[in-house]
Amino acid sequence: MELIQLLLNGLSLGAVYALFALGYTLVFSVLGVINFSHGAVFTLGAYFTYLLIGGKAGANGLLSGLQLPFALPFALALPLAGLASALVALLIERVAFRPLRQRGADSLLALISSLGAGVILVNLIQLLMGAESYAIPIGTLASLPASLSIGGARVRTVQVLLLAIATLLLVLLSVWLEGSRSGKALQAVSEDPLTAQLLGIDSDGMIRLAFGISGFLAGVSGGLVGLSVSIAGPYFGISYGLKALGVLVLGGLGSVPGAMLGGLIIGLAEAFVPAEWSGWKDAVAYGFLFLILVIRPQGLLGRPLDTKV
Amino acid sequence: MEGFGLCARRCTALGLGWLASALTLGGCDGPDPARKPVNLSQGVPLGAVLAMSGNANVYGQDQNTGLSLALAELNGKGGINGKPLALKIEDSGSDEPGANAAFNLQINRGVLALIGPTLSQQAFSADPIAQRRGVPVVAPSNTATGIPEIGPFISRVSAQSSVIAPLSIAKALQLHPQIRRAAVFYAQDDAYSSAETTIFQKALTARGLKPVTVQRTQLNDQDFQSQISAALQQKPDLVVLSLQAVDGGNMIRQLRELGYKGVIVVGNGMNTPNIYPICQKYCDGILIAQAYSPELRSAANTTFLRRFQAREGGAIPPQLTAQAWTALQVLAEALQRLDRRQPLQQTNLAEARKALMAELLSGTYQTPLGEIRFTPEGEVIQKDFFVAQVRMDASGKSGRFALLP
Repeated sequence: MELIQLLLNGLSLGAVYALFALGYTLVFSVLGVINFSHGAVFTLGAYFTYLLIGGKAGANGLLSGLQLPFALPFALALPLAGLASALVALLIERVAFRPLRQRGADSLLALISSLGAGVILVNLIQLLMGAESYAIPIGTLASLPASLSIGGARVRTVQVLLLAIATLLLVLLSVWLEGSRSGKALQAVSEDPLTAQLLGIDSDGMIRLAFGISGFLAGVSGGLVGLSVSIAGPYFGISYGLKALGVLVLGGLGSVPGAMLGGLIIGLAEAFVPAEWSGWKDAVAYGFLFLILVIRPQGLLGRPLDTKV
Repeated sequence: MEGFGLCARRCTALGLGWLASALTLGGCDGPDPARKPVNLSQGVPLGAVLAMSGNANVYGQDQNTGLSLALAELNGKGGINGKPLALKIEDSGSDEPGANAAFNLQINRGVLALIGPTLSQQAFSADPIAQRRGVPVVAPSNTATGIPEIGPFISRVSAQSSVIAPLSIAKALQLHPQIRRAAVFYAQDDAYSSAETTIFQKALTARGLKPVTVQRTQLNDQDFQSQISAALQQKPDLVVLSLQAVDGGNMIRQLRELGYKGVIVVGNGMNTPNIYPICQKYCDGILIAQAYSPELRSAANTTFLRRFQAREGGAIPPQLTAQAWTALQVLAEALQRLDRRQPLQQTNLAEARKALMAELLSGTYQTPLGEIRFTPEGEVIQKDFFVAQVRMDASGKSGRFALLP
């Protein structure tokens, strides 16, 4: 029973890390740059979800007391929050990445401009919504029990839901990448944008698509995490962002299956940390990451050559 | 990939350069106004450093309310012998670098004294700056052991954990004498949590309840499934939490969702109504020791209650708001006495700060917390403490801290 409990704990944690890391991976695969604003888009997704289900802005932001005139069910609010986040990600691509790309600027500049965009977004959230915490009402999943018993292990229903949605999104993304024309076009751009352009693929369009999907994934995972553990202020995406960076590197930069595998491994590594060491789980997880990278510097599924996706 | 490698090397260089610059700037405190006369052109300058952002923002908001209400009250009564108080509040974030920067900024502005910082963890980092520069500090919410011991310029109006934390354990055992197995959770990377859990664990052991499990978390943790699963296997009937409001609220919610039905005692970190939106209906029933009672019948508390309820629509004020009000009140009263004896406009800032600290420690104050005074080391001496139980309303959205007899 204890093993099942640990597996469930690890998988539900790992699924969030994987979902988050996939957003990083998609952008990295087409641009070769880590998009540091991804954590802010994740945070935005949580706030969008909160507002769309009828949540009210707190007392300390410019939007104090704001409440939308409608309240959507969570199942509808979540994908809409994902779409809104995707639009924000596209905007970030337009203002923080594209101008630099068009000038052939060094990738370091894009990395810094994405960091700047992220900081601005987080501060904007704080300005508009205040620094307070928000929570998606516990009754949101009213028809479901608070927790489930699986093989004698007890797990919160919201964690099972999170794991299921994350798995579904990961599978859909993999199927799309491998089985669709546009997915293959994205892979071609990630291999060589110029050659892809010469072959008639709209490289810029594919880059926008990568940002859009990345933003959608970030928004949805933000909403799901908000449902699970509340929205701990505008900065709450930071710790997830840092963990997902570890996942990205562990799985192999730019590798979609790597991001999934890395997420699950980090989640399981944290869950299997003995209870008396639970406060050191980050150190254990990152120690594990360090060990793997010493043995395999390109990450678990990364390729040593300049090939991605 | 090569581009990323290049980027990584440049990032490292950039980071080291930034770090060097930060260290250089950190070592330079800028122009020191301490040798000049106290600048009263904008009023009597005081500073507050509160966690208005980051994971401790929920406390900063309560404190901000207390300070703004006290400021209105004190200035309405003529300020410091006719001179208005000019209180500037700076956001420290919820970490140590933020608190250090805000302390330096306020001190360089020429404030006579500082209120803050919000967290004990921040105080251990920022208070030595004020101590080094001879600026009195009144902490409104630091409860960890060792805060006044930082130096002669450091004091607090928040009773330390060792005084109040055991009260809630005693009350839990009084209400539920069948309790046999206690599980303890604390954030190991937080000075307040670490200090308070030691006191909780001693109190439990002294009553023959050696914890059956001690689970460590980190301040930024939000998912506690692993720690809770491990703890619940020990079948506890009492859970004791030393956590901050956001992680503590999440912990309570997840404990209940995972089926824990026993008693929950929480520490001072959750002493704010801002936990309501986080643990919602699951906040109901938790026990918490209090250094403030809204039911206290005194002129000071009546004034505080009137101001608070006029602003917050009749709500019950939280302890942190009362303590923040108290911090400004004691400083203002000490300043009034000092100014009568030694007019501030004729004193240079360094001397005024030193004299203010001596004056502050020598007084007795009638505050919303009741009568308080200080030990020569700056530790608060307070008479009355209480234990409250959180009672949530039917909607699970709001509640109150109901004092237990």
